[in-house]
Amino acid sequence: MIFWVWVFGLIYAGLLVFASLKSYKKNRSSEEFMMAGSNIGLTLGVLTFAAALFSTFTFLGMPDFFRINGVGAWIFLAVSDGAMVFLLLWFGYHIRNKVKGMEFRGVSGLITRCYENKLAGYVFFLSAFLFLIPYVGIQIQGIAIFMDAAFPGSFPAWGWSAGIVLIMLIYSEIGGLKAIIFSDAIQGLLLLVVIWIIGWACLNHFGGIGPMFDKIGTVQEDLLSTPGPQGLLTPQFLIASLIAILMIPVTQPQFTTRIVVMKSMKTMQLMAVSLGAFAILVILPTIFIGMYGADLYSEYGRDEFFANAFLYDQPDAVAALAIIGLIAAGLSTTNAQIFALGSELRGLLRGNEKSIMRNTKIGIFVFSVIAFFFSIIVFDQLVLLARVSFAGTGIMGPMIILGILSDRKVSPAIIYLSLVGLIVFLSSLAGFIPDMYFGLRLDLILFIILGLVAVISHLTGKKLQLISPETDQ
Amino acid sequence: MEKKRLYWKICCIAAIFLCILTFTPLVIPQGIATPELAGVPYSLWTSFIITVLLVVLTYIGTRVHPGMQNEEEDV
Repeated sequence: MIFWVWVFGLIYAGLLVFASLKSYKKNRSSEEFMMAGSNIGLTLGVLTFAAALFSTFTFLGMPDFFRINGVGAWIFLAVSDGAMVFLLLWFGYHIRNKVKGMEFRGVSGLITRCYENKLAGYVFFLSAFLFLIPYVGIQIQGIAIFMDAAFPGSFPAWGWSAGIVLIMLIYSEIGGLKAIIFSDAIQGLLLLVVIWIIGWACLNHFGGIGPMFDKIGTVQEDLLSTPGPQGLLTPQFLIASLIAILMIPVTQPQFTTRIVVMKSMKTMQLMAVSLGAFAILVILPTIFIGMYGADLYSEYGRDEFFANAFLYDQPDAVAALAIIGLIAAGLSTTNAQIFALGSELRGLLRGNEKSIMRNTKIGIFVFSVIAFFFSIIVFDQLVLLARVSFAGTGIMGPMIILGILSDRKVSPAIIYLSLVGLIVFLSSLAGFIPDMYFGLRLDLILFIILGLVAVISHLTGKKLQLISPETDQ
Repeated sequence: MEKKRLYWKICCIAAIFLCILTFTPLVIPQGIATPELAGVPYSLWTSFIITVLLVVLTYIGTRVHPGMQNEEEDV
């Protein structure tokens, strides 16, 4: 296997270097560095969005989620993604219209301008920081676990994590967002190919889709229906997850940035459709891998399942591809998130452009270091932590949508309530307060309350008067 | 333009309807895996169809979205 890892690893590294150098320009402006010149075409747009969205969370997390919770996992992610791409069409249109003719400096900067209130930008940045960093950390950890299983004893897990963070920093520093987008394209394709090769091998283990579910029915029948053996996938959990995933393009800055930097409205819209198709293609084989795990490794822990299904049970070349595919999946998402945090920081900074860029780069470095430390200390199920990340940033959704869509002077109440919502949600995660009230999940209650506040704020907001030259008003 | 607005509204209503339908016992009957389709459990094949329909609706949305009128102005 080592031979194949070198072969695929060198090809992959070569492509990353190529992407970085192709994007490198001397004396580039900060706009070019942070926003890739806002000129991204359809193919690159789909692949970068997909690579940022489908990470180790999909590559490792979803097979594990299917293995433990059964077929309802499809509703959790695929149906939610289907709805999300439809929302992307609607939201993408509005945010692109909003930023037309102005320099886009991240959602924090935009939302500060929309509300004419700095607190709005700070609250958004705080939520992005608090919920993206642990998510980045656990993905780096996922890669490190996998590498440790592939090369036991060669490096400590933190050594792999440090290496990943270093690679990410180097090529984003050289090429900026454009390098990240080029490398995302390579990584998105690689992820799709690898997940299908492994998924296909797992499906062949059963001899087809029908026999696969027949076999699972005899092993653990609860996997074939909701809420699954652990009773997790209840309608309420799935609805709250749908809302959290729907909010991804609105509240996760790496996606909002990608919507804005697309070349045209039409390209952005076609990207949404293609992304939906990509989501189906990429999630489908994770069912096969999950069912394979349920059949052979139902009693095993997460790490043993990954090591067996992705490495030990595969031919050497496929196992090597899985390693590179996983690195690609993790790297593309983590660098997109870290870079987006840098971009958000830039939106909040004031001063001359040179010092803003310097501080942004320092910020990216600091965020990477914090994510590295999280990768060493965090331990959780990939999918559930990702869901917490989506829900945590999703709390900001009503504030952002109201700010972008409303043509009225709205009350700043939604900003303060979003901050309160964030604190309440964090308190429940820390175990200080319960996460269920009156039989309802706390995240669902927060979505409903903040959504209602946003609607009321819009309806009670003062209509903005256009200045008419004739009346001089 | 008016027709496009109407079609776009129909798309939005259809997407919301599909999402709501997903969380009813019609798609996720608790603890029931039948009737199967080509061996695939009930909730999986119904939700798979819903996912495909949502993507198809998104495609139709790109054709009827009233904002496409302004595309030429877009840079």
